[in-house]
Amino acid sequence: MKFLELAKRNFKETCRDPLALGFLLGFPLLFMLLFGAIFGGGTSSSYPIGVIDDDNTPLSQAFIDDALANVPTLEVANYDDTATALKDLKFGDLRVYIVIPQGFGEQVSQNWEGKAANIFLQMTYDESDIMTSEQIISIINSVTRSFAHIEIPVTINANPIHIETEITYIDYMGPGIIIFGLLILIPTSARIMVSDKEKGFLSRLLTTPTRPLDFISGYSLCLVIIAIIQIVIFLAAACGFGMNIVGSLWLTFLIFFLTGLSSIGIGMVVASLSKSENQAEPLCWLFSMPLAMLSGCWFSIDMLPSYLKSIAYAFPYAHSIVASRSVITRGVGLEAITIDFLFLVGWAVVIFAIGVILFRRSMRS
Amino acid sequence: MTSHNIEPVRVKDDTFAIQTYQLTKIFNGVVAVDGIELNIKKGELFALLGPNGAGKTTTINMLCCLLKPTSGTATVMGYDINHQPFKIKEIIGVSPQETVISEHLNPQENLNLIGKIHGISPGELKIRSQQLLETMGLTGRVKDQVRKFSGGMKRRLNIMMALIHNPEVIFLDEPTLGLDPQARRAIWEYIIRLKGEKTILLTTHYMDEADFLADRIGIMDNGRIAALGTSTELKMSVLEKHAMIIYAWNLTQKVIGEMRSRYAGVEVTGGTMTITDKRLDFKEIVDHLHSSGATVRSAYIKEPSLDDVFLHITGKELRE
Repeated sequence: MKFLELAKRNFKETCRDPLALGFLLGFPLLFMLLFGAIFGGGTSSSYPIGVIDDDNTPLSQAFIDDALANVPTLEVANYDDTATALKDLKFGDLRVYIVIPQGFGEQVSQNWEGKAANIFLQMTYDESDIMTSEQIISIINSVTRSFAHIEIPVTINANPIHIETEITYIDYMGPGIIIFGLLILIPTSARIMVSDKEKGFLSRLLTTPTRPLDFISGYSLCLVIIAIIQIVIFLAAACGFGMNIVGSLWLTFLIFFLTGLSSIGIGMVVASLSKSENQAEPLCWLFSMPLAMLSGCWFSIDMLPSYLKSIAYAFPYAHSIVASRSVITRGVGLEAITIDFLFLVGWAVVIFAIGVILFRRSMRS
Repeated sequence: MTSHNIEPVRVKDDTFAIQTYQLTKIFNGVVAVDGIELNIKKGELFALLGPNGAGKTTTINMLCCLLKPTSGTATVMGYDINHQPFKIKEIIGVSPQETVISEHLNPQENLNLIGKIHGISPGELKIRSQQLLETMGLTGRVKDQVRKFSGGMKRRLNIMMALIHNPEVIFLDEPTLGLDPQARRAIWEYIIRLKGEKTILLTTHYMDEADFLADRIGIMDNGRIAALGTSTELKMSVLEKHAMIIYAWNLTQKVIGEMRSRYAGVEVTGGTMTITDKRLDFKEIVDHLHSSGATVRSAYIKEPSLDDVFLHITGKELRE
């Protein structure tokens, strides 16, 4: 029964390696925890909505201040005109804006008096945010029905035509998938560097007149080229599947490029802290997979509880998805994504610098 | 130079390619190299012989400027390992113990990498690569990725990468480790060709390798140079009595009697005479036998092996 002996040996090897065991058990547990936190029970996510009160009656005011404002999942902001609200919707500061039409208060009063009434709202939303928009429509519908004491659904004149582009599913999902690809650059970068360290290639080259910075530049250049190729292929594939880049292609590329640099930097940090490929790979996956989930690669980050959202926004990937999605689907320029963009630049510079310092130190040891 | 005598600290001398001065390396309290003193002449092939863990690779790593010594220093072609590592790296070639090559590159690409790092012009690089590939018998496989090579071929390429830039000093760390006898022999033959041209510091735990290749051998144990000298010097130093084996005709009682009157121990079994004494002179013995009437067919002085030397010096056998 040689295979049993081998199985026994392999089992012992795995169980006695804390990292492997941590990966086997910790990874699924971490996912379970994350899914539990995101989908289990009430979420504290909130959606910014704009309200334009054309009715301007005490009832319409009460609807805004008492009914809408009391919904914990909505952050209500008042607007004077639709143009400003549309601009904010386009820049992603609003998920939806509703217009309370003239006669709204009168219709609600009639309904309370038992007379026939036609209560309706105009709602404009960003169709690229499909899941969120549907949730908000549902919330507003139920709030209005409750406020007006009616059983039948309120007429909501959904108005996605104000959005300048026709958003498809691939437009919405494309950036997330590309960012996921760039997250995979973390284990790739770490593996390339650790492998050379582990197999002695680095030591061999250190006996030649080469300085540590030459190595780091060599690796970085190679990985940057890989990142560029990756981005070009991903963008071409996404466009091939029908993704329409409304905004600047170069800005889109730049956002992804900065994200790629951060991934390379993280990979370099992991490579510095690992002695072998066996150590580096699980570490990378343990880091990148939950981050892909938290950053909104597969679903809207608005669904996350606020504490998870804070964690997500501490890393560049969520910013990258928000920024690239805004450029791709809404055609915004740099001015609309300045904060996200600066965050990406800052992260790329800092993590790259840390990676270089740590890797250089690890080469000396 | 005889064994047991460790060379004293010397002043820098142009005749030496490598000089170490109380070179010491301590890893977390464990002394890996313990104040060694070595003087390796230019053009000499010097072998550091010792078991695994004796400190051979650590010594090489310090001389290649991969490791900083804990104390002491060394010079390679006059450059100090603590202060001029970059200068040293320009003039040395290192073949590490592990076969470190880029598996997905072909031999030419591997050689180009090291050559270009050393700033060799494309023309010279081409000529040197061709020479090396020819000498090492890899010309036919020049376009194949290295991962398809046998262990022996990879080892040869490993050594070629240490030579491509025509270094003045070559460090070969266990160059034939794990190879079959045929592949070892091929590498030995190439190393022999380099003798005299280059200064070579070779580490090995194969006695026969050190014996066959080295001009001088340093026996290393527990981080120290336990003995130093040529192979013959080391072997002779452990012998209290020498033995000579003679195959001869006409080993008559007269002949045996005469030889017994001259030498301390004379044993005869059939046509074989074994003479043992503190001092033996090959020619003198053969002449005596002839003058006594015997006819010598063949004779040799039985030497101790380096295994005997190692056992004698360290009190233990060399482990592989």
